[in-house]
Amino acid sequence: MNNWFKSGSPWVWLSAGGVSISLISVIGLLGLIAWRGLSYFWPADIYQFEMTDEQGKHLTVIGEVYEKESIPASQLVHLNLDIDSSVETIERLLIKTGNRELVSLDFRWILVPQINNSSLPAELVVIERRTNGNFYGYIEDVILDGQVVEQNQMLQLVERVSDFQAEMEELQKSDIGAINYQIERTRLKERKHILDDTLTTQLQQEFKDKVAGLKADYKVLEKQLMALREKISRDQLVVRAMDGQKVTINFADVLQVTFNNKLNVFEKLKMFFSQIGAFVSKDPREANTEGGVFPAIFGTVLMVLLMTVIVSPLGVVAAIYLHEYAGNNALTKLLRIAVINLAGVPSIVYGVFGLGFFVYMVGGSLDQLFYAETLPSPTFGTPGVMWSALTLAILTLPVVIVSTEEGLSRIPSAMRHGSLALGATKAETLWRIILPIASPAIMTGIILAIARAAGEVAPLMLVGVVKMAPNLPIDGNFPFLHLDRKFMHLGFHIYDVGFQSPNVEAARPLVYATALLLVSIIVALNITAVSIRNRLREKYRMLEH
Amino acid sequence: MISVTPKNLSAHNVKLDLNNLSPEQVALEIKHLDLYYGNKQALQNISMSIPKGQVTAFIGPSGCGKSTLLRCINRMNDLVDICKITGEINLNGENIYDRHTDVAALRRKVGMVFQRPNPFPKSIYENVVYGLRITGVNNRRVLDEAVETALRSAALWNEVKDRLHESALGLSGGQQQRLVIARAIAIEPEVLLLDEPTSALDPISTLTIEELINDLKKQFTVVIVTHNMQQAARVSDQTAFMYMGDLIEYSDTNTLFTTPAKKKTEDYITGRYG
Repeated sequence: MNNWFKSGSPWVWLSAGGVSISLISVIGLLGLIAWRGLSYFWPADIYQFEMTDEQGKHLTVIGEVYEKESIPASQLVHLNLDIDSSVETIERLLIKTGNRELVSLDFRWILVPQINNSSLPAELVVIERRTNGNFYGYIEDVILDGQVVEQNQMLQLVERVSDFQAEMEELQKSDIGAINYQIERTRLKERKHILDDTLTTQLQQEFKDKVAGLKADYKVLEKQLMALREKISRDQLVVRAMDGQKVTINFADVLQVTFNNKLNVFEKLKMFFSQIGAFVSKDPREANTEGGVFPAIFGTVLMVLLMTVIVSPLGVVAAIYLHEYAGNNALTKLLRIAVINLAGVPSIVYGVFGLGFFVYMVGGSLDQLFYAETLPSPTFGTPGVMWSALTLAILTLPVVIVSTEEGLSRIPSAMRHGSLALGATKAETLWRIILPIASPAIMTGIILAIARAAGEVAPLMLVGVVKMAPNLPIDGNFPFLHLDRKFMHLGFHIYDVGFQSPNVEAARPLVYATALLLVSIIVALNITAVSIRNRLREKYRMLEH
Repeated sequence: MISVTPKNLSAHNVKLDLNNLSPEQVALEIKHLDLYYGNKQALQNISMSIPKGQVTAFIGPSGCGKSTLLRCINRMNDLVDICKITGEINLNGENIYDRHTDVAALRRKVGMVFQRPNPFPKSIYENVVYGLRITGVNNRRVLDEAVETALRSAALWNEVKDRLHESALGLSGGQQQRLVIARAIAIEPEVLLLDEPTSALDPISTLTIEELINDLKKQFTVVIVTHNMQQAARVSDQTAFMYMGDLIEYSDTNTLFTTPAKKKTEDYITGRYG
């Protein structure tokens, strides 16, 4: 036994145990998120339950089974169920029944003992809609231009409508959006002239003509839009819900009609991937509880990239000063300790700082200097993507500084001496020799910074993230990148959908899916950075003497 | 006494009287040089003249100050914060320790090669042209020519001409050291300082470098520090023996190794200490 202790085996076991626990937690976490997140996209079977409730009434429930759980029978005593008293637990199912126009809640619990019969009728259909969530039921009639037509025309109609919808969206977002943007710019130009007292009658006339021209264009586009709207609202779908009520749904509202119970595995797989595709490429609907998360992905990535662009030069320059130029004295040591400790400041504190300093002070001053014509509505004096990137840059600065300094101190002095002996100055040596060799260490700092920044939510809530941003920070209108705009962020999206939405139950799978996406994006960003670092390492690998 | 047969002795120039060199013959003149590391004196009142176009070797036991003296000549000791120097070193009649000296320009005139090969993690080509790029030369043709000339002078051209744009770190130790020499001579210095250039190399690479040194003195004044007496005897025209920060004896190599004037020199070269 004593020998066993001396051999070091206990410590090996102990450390291996530590590694295993971390590994299991990471894999467990990713596994849970991936399973729950991905199953959201899998087309579920739609059940039809025939059941008798506690009053002896017969009813039909149609929907997807979301969850199954056991509850103690004693909890249900008040219902006077006809169950054997020896039974201790009763199973119940959470069913997503949709049909929000008929019942206000998407979900309902049903007790397994009350079910008389369950089936998977092939004719059951799921209709994914723009408003009111999913509809589950049977198709009764397809109406084209007021005429009842064959049901097999339905899928063509859905496709036709979605083409029109895409056209409308394009028209609304890019063409009409551009005109609105131009009108607003013209108005601001005019206002600027008024503020500067340089508005001549000639200029005024010019502005007026321009706005009139734009408005005429707008009218034309509006007409096109109306025509399209007209086209898509002509066709309807009559469906029968689980309680026998007939509901008429406009095709304009329909996104997708699927007979889930008819699908085989391959068709389901195809649908699974197309659902994932829609999730990452579409805009959210219905207070973010439905649809995709594209704006949030875009916002997250853009903000992280902006942050990287800001923090990298700043951190590297600061590290160079601390390591190469600052004297090796008490003040430098104090500064270094201060920098390291900055990494431990809670992120919400940075958020408060960003709001107070960047948004109100810097942004407010910028507005007064350069955007006086838009006041009192602020341009930069309000949370936005630039301030978010800056705040996170400050937050991640210590990481970059510390890694860069470490990289600098690892470079053998022979490299410096070699360069200096060739008549290079210290600055030339730094620029041409030291920085390239230190670049893998700098990349390590950037990787850590990205990892930290991409997952940060708290400070962003103060300095630029919103639940729903009407426009992306990048669009076709000059200057294309709009740093003053607010943006959506996956981390905040998770919080918002999971805890702030009106229908938390419905949104829970979405939370997992979004979390999975956020993790994937951070991993993707990190893999990119790591592969860049590995290439740099290979390039500047020191020969071992 | 160890047997030393300097093989290049026959090629020696006319013997120089090291105490009475004419100004044209002097490459470097060291006058009353003292050097302190903090409170510790590392060099004491060194005075010597190093002749042009010849190889001068500094020998002595470890810690005698030979490398320190060498580093004074291109002011590499400036990098040591606690180092303090008095006295002068004249290059072309100008004191390099003058307040107005441009240290970078001085180092372009006095090149240096270190104990361990220290090629930059760049291509062979970029290593050689490094000094030229620093001075602002970017003309492709000029650089190509300089690379070929320098690599030929360093006897490396034939080995690397087909892989100039590959990493210098892929070369062997001896090749790396010759590359570093090529890098130093690409900027055409007047003086070349070699700080134990073969101590990290195998015997064959050492031989190549020694032959190279013999060629180099046609173009440059070479000062070499070595702990290997045979090497000093083989490659140098003049030898200075240092001990504990003092310059004990300085004369032409043949004389120093065959009939040393000082007892300490004799003890050292016969291997009684050091």
